[in-house]
Amino acid sequence: MKDKLFVSASPHITQNNGGVRRIMIDVLVSLCPVIIAATFFFGYAVLINIAVAVAACIGFELLYDAGINHKFKKGCLKNASIKDGSAAVTGVILALNFPTFVKVEAWDFNFYDPRIHTPIVSDMIFSFDTLLLLILASLFAVVVVKMLFGGIGKNFVNPAAAGRVFVFIMVGLAAVQTVGLGLDASTGATWLEGKVTPNGSTLLNMLIGNTGSAAVGETCAIAILIGFVYLVIRKVIDFKLPLVIVGSAFVFAVLFDGLIKQHLPIGEILPNACAHVLSGGLLFGAVYMSTDYATSPNTDWGRAIYGVGTALIAMLIRVFGGYPEGMSFAILIMNIVTPLIDRYVYPRPFGYVKVKKEKKKKQDKEGAKV
Amino acid sequence: MQSTFKRGVHPAANKGLSDKKNIVFMPPPSVVYISTAQHIGKAAKPIVAKGDRVIEGQKIAEADGFISAPVFSSVTGTVKEIKTMNTPLAKAEHIIIERDETSEETFRLKPLGEKQRTRENILERIKECGIVGMGGAGFPTHVKLQPKDKVDTFIINAAECEPYITCDYRILLEYTEPFLRGALYMAKAVGLDKVYIGIEDNKTDAANFVSNVAASKGYNVEVKILKSKYPQGAEKQLIYAMTGRKVPTGALPSAVGAVVDNVHTALSVCLAVEDGQPLYKRIMTVSGGGITEPKNFWAAGGTQYGEILSFCGGAKEGGDEPVKFISGGPMMGIAVSDEEIASTKTTSCLLLLTEDEAFTGKPQPCINCGKCASACPMRLMPMYIDSFILNGDVGGAVKYGAKNCIECGCCAFSCPAKRPLVQSIRLAKKKAREAGL
Repeated sequence: MKDKLFVSASPHITQNNGGVRRIMIDVLVSLCPVIIAATFFFGYAVLINIAVAVAACIGFELLYDAGINHKFKKGCLKNASIKDGSAAVTGVILALNFPTFVKVEAWDFNFYDPRIHTPIVSDMIFSFDTLLLLILASLFAVVVVKMLFGGIGKNFVNPAAAGRVFVFIMVGLAAVQTVGLGLDASTGATWLEGKVTPNGSTLLNMLIGNTGSAAVGETCAIAILIGFVYLVIRKVIDFKLPLVIVGSAFVFAVLFDGLIKQHLPIGEILPNACAHVLSGGLLFGAVYMSTDYATSPNTDWGRAIYGVGTALIAMLIRVFGGYPEGMSFAILIMNIVTPLIDRYVYPRPFGYVKVKKEKKKKQDKEGAKV
Repeated sequence: MQSTFKRGVHPAANKGLSDKKNIVFMPPPSVVYISTAQHIGKAAKPIVAKGDRVIEGQKIAEADGFISAPVFSSVTGTVKEIKTMNTPLAKAEHIIIERDETSEETFRLKPLGEKQRTRENILERIKECGIVGMGGAGFPTHVKLQPKDKVDTFIINAAECEPYITCDYRILLEYTEPFLRGALYMAKAVGLDKVYIGIEDNKTDAANFVSNVAASKGYNVEVKILKSKYPQGAEKQLIYAMTGRKVPTGALPSAVGAVVDNVHTALSVCLAVEDGQPLYKRIMTVSGGGITEPKNFWAAGGTQYGEILSFCGGAKEGGDEPVKFISGGPMMGIAVSDEEIASTKTTSCLLLLTEDEAFTGKPQPCINCGKCASACPMRLMPMYIDSFILNGDVGGAVKYGAKNCIECGCCAFSCPAKRPLVQSIRLAKKKAREAGL
């Protein structure tokens, strides 16, 4: 027995929770309702996009890890970092952050219905542009944002949000149009671009996802809620952060859009704020992207600041800014603020006794003298 | 609602392996290796020399200073040698005694009569009998029972929150009366007449049994059932669970008027007061999936681990081969590889864990999920302490609370990336001490 013993520091048992991979698989499972809803409303192209984005993310991470970290030595595949599954999660979230079809005016490699002479996005059959952009976004998300900064857990912003913003700024947001293949209402621009005062049926359509949206994943609020509940039950995410974001976004929508900008009558303020919450990437971002472990604070108060900040920036961009949608930018900005939050907001140990201010000043003075 | 402390984890208790096993007696080995460093504080000074004849219970090393405790021979025989040997963590002087198998002689102090059991006499007796905290730390009990602050609550820690260990549980069931009397003597030694006992709700049978016995004997004892959670038995967490008081950081429990002691210590105090028996043997648990026959038994101090294992049938062969040999519990014990290490006053448990039970994998990168911070009963941020100290920043590690760590292991237990966080925090504590922070 003696030559087989393993010696290490305590504790000698660990929770049998499946490790990092189990967390990533849970996230993938929680994304399933969103994928199903997106495919239902926008068609098969969603699945193609997801497959390409996941393959690209895994491929780039594998290449980087095997080539740069392991120099293609023996065993580089066996120890590959993609095994933790985070690349697949990035891929799926990235694809869900894209519209079904994108047309890039500069080159336009898409196939259109041949019967139509003036090609418009809604008559697209297959879009190489989207796939190309997805691969570019994957490259940026995985290699630049994640691997160059040290791999899993060291990314400084959410990779999927960064990939999306990078590509969308590059090709210009105007070129992006979403087209629904499902029901009637899902064809057309998002509510955020038009901003007609919503009535009951628009809100209901937003809730079930039968509406135009700039990204396929954000369309169905119910699917996102199901995913949220699953993640909370599996204890993958803290339930408070998405609630803080959505709650404060609602308040800011009432304040900025309802009261300051549009001076809406009281009866329309609340539906308008509801529409703000239900449309665009707010829910999807709050549940799946702002909760990214590496880029969100680790204390309750830190998360509260982070959540309110995210909602504030998103609503400022939506209401006063140049873009109809600001969630990705808001997440990116607050991601960068996170280390600062964790620096100042951290828990005091159990039994911590506050040093009184006068006493502390005295101590500081004495310290300075020494 | 049952009270408990905040945060913490729920490891599988695995007490079923040994909790139905009655306490038996392990025959003393032919040679014992008695360490002079069985407690926190200065090691005891040997007062015997090679070739001396000693009898069971005789003092063979005396306390060196106030925070120290004497050491007694656990067998009757001849001192063979005094030499430095390994302990689980370091090296210490060991007195090696060869047992004389023909002699049954034992040495006892004079028992204290009913009227002699005053505060001073009990304290003196605890000191003379070398009683230390038998939960694992080994703090000399006579020091603990003379706190500087005024104390109003005396608590017996019967939480036994570490998985596998069942020796305290068996004492509660089998040595109930001596244990309760010992606890009352200790309470008397701190100037109180009431004992609070904290037991977790996975041992309600023992809790009910103890409170029934106490009621029938008219002892002033209150049993409080706590919600099972690890580390309930940690001193500060137990005080919070029992009384709602928070021990300030860097202070002793007596700062909030509480003194906590262990079940087996109370039993030892009773034996010392009523029988005059010094502390040289103890009840321990041997358990784990890799041992042939898990047991609870009295073992003479200084018995080598190898002998203890063979008393329990030795390690399993074939599929359930042990991969880890632990002195102590699975959460805070020390992994050892040397079967020549000898048991001490604080060896409460030996575990042989199999591949399925123990973690032997490699750590992965931290994903900053914060599970360690939400498990930490001391409200620290282990992930930052880990990353700061691994990058050489001692100040940063101290800022996130490294010095307040109780090393309970909740962080590393709950880490999905299986990082050795406790090891990092120990490093941080050491570096902080060196840097004088």
